[in-house]
Amino acid sequence: MNDLCVDSGYRSLLKYGEELCGDSVQEIRGENTFLLVLADGLGSGVKANILSTLTSKILATMVENDMSVEECVATIAATLPVCQKRGVAYSTFTIIHITNNDEAEIIQYDNPMVIMLRDGKSYDYPTIMKTVEGKKIYETKIKVKQDDVFIAMSDGAIYAGVEQVLNYGWQRENIVDFAEANYDYRNTAKIITSMILEQCALLYNDKPGDDTTVATVQVRKRKPANLMIGPPKDPNDVKKMMASFFAKEGRHIVCGGTTSTLAAEYLGKPLITDIDYIDPDIPPTAKIEGVDLVTEGVLTISRVLEYATNYLENNERYQEWSVKKDGASQIARLLFREATDINFYVGRAMNPAHQNPNLPINFNIKMRIVERLAEALKQMGKTINVCYF
Amino acid sequence: MMNVYVCVGSSCHLKGSYDIINLMKEQIASHGLEDKVNLAAAFCLGKCTDGDGVSIKVEDEIVGGVNPANFNEIFKTYILDRV
Repeated sequence: MNDLCVDSGYRSLLKYGEELCGDSVQEIRGENTFLLVLADGLGSGVKANILSTLTSKILATMVENDMSVEECVATIAATLPVCQKRGVAYSTFTIIHITNNDEAEIIQYDNPMVIMLRDGKSYDYPTIMKTVEGKKIYETKIKVKQDDVFIAMSDGAIYAGVEQVLNYGWQRENIVDFAEANYDYRNTAKIITSMILEQCALLYNDKPGDDTTVATVQVRKRKPANLMIGPPKDPNDVKKMMASFFAKEGRHIVCGGTTSTLAAEYLGKPLITDIDYIDPDIPPTAKIEGVDLVTEGVLTISRVLEYATNYLENNERYQEWSVKKDGASQIARLLFREATDINFYVGRAMNPAHQNPNLPINFNIKMRIVERLAEALKQMGKTINVCYF
Repeated sequence: MMNVYVCVGSSCHLKGSYDIINLMKEQIASHGLEDKVNLAAAFCLGKCTDGDGVSIKVEDEIVGGVNPANFNEIFKTYILDRV
């Protein structure tokens, strides 16, 4: 095991007027492997959706079990239902398979070629062409390095703008230029995907002529972060909880008034609370020497949960949390953008003052918010560990 | 210098810390007390259940239940008359 990990994010735009996407993405995360399959089914709507779902599921399962490309393609050819109108069974695909965070295998059939960025610049990776069942398949095996980015897409991406704002669409080289120009090593795969897809939506004038999918996979350095919220149920455990929390490597975030008071006592440093509200709905943050970020508890975390849920949907609120200085935005930046491994230290002491039915902050609500946040972060592909005290 | 803290813990925040801080700033400015009163925020003062309003701390004394309706009276009693 090295200190790298795989970060991924994908999203689709539906063809204008369609309710189902004809592109499908499957992701499988194993102990030391990461696998992503992007398939684009023939046509659009239900038929394309079925073709691409079958293709991506079959491929993901087979590749995960180390079947050869030949076997995979043969299985797909034999399984896909034949389109009555066109007399063919067809779905394109791109497979990105990363093992031990150090080797990538890319298998491509008829989708636009994967864009690879190394140190933020387009990298010409070697490919070998194979003919399997009459299909031209491109295979690549390459050692990966920290910050390598792989961008897979369906052809909707390169046709963006055809007959609307551009004559020939947004070609692959334009997407390469765009990805290079907007590269920032701090961006997550999800953010890279969103930027490209939003540009496609713009070129399509929000009326995509085809299903458009972008899937980004990148190799990042592991970055741990630790978040503590709530004092322990048994007051005798304060020292134990603090000692374990502060012994952890990486960023330290302390949430909650009582919790930060205890942390300040443990560290023997003053707790200085800011008085200025940046967002009237989010209480101000505070400072303790030795802690990266100190915020209020349940209200701040519920806003973080809203941002996390939105990040997994369409990430429209990125504009808010990526720049604002309130506690919730700062936590969002640390957890969504920077951290890859997050340890939660959740104290289960009940604050009697919060058990007022008129306040939306009682104990059960708080525990549920933390659980849902941990779940959302897991869906972002982060390694999550939750300890209760 | 008189130290005045306004609680911005979860419970007080929901009961209006934001407004109380703004009222404090206005009153301190209108009485020209900027050099005499040091206004700061505090995380939970531990009096979350005291009355219908926000907790504040004037030097070492905690005053609970401050809201816009009783603000001027509390400001006068605890701050204006003492500085």
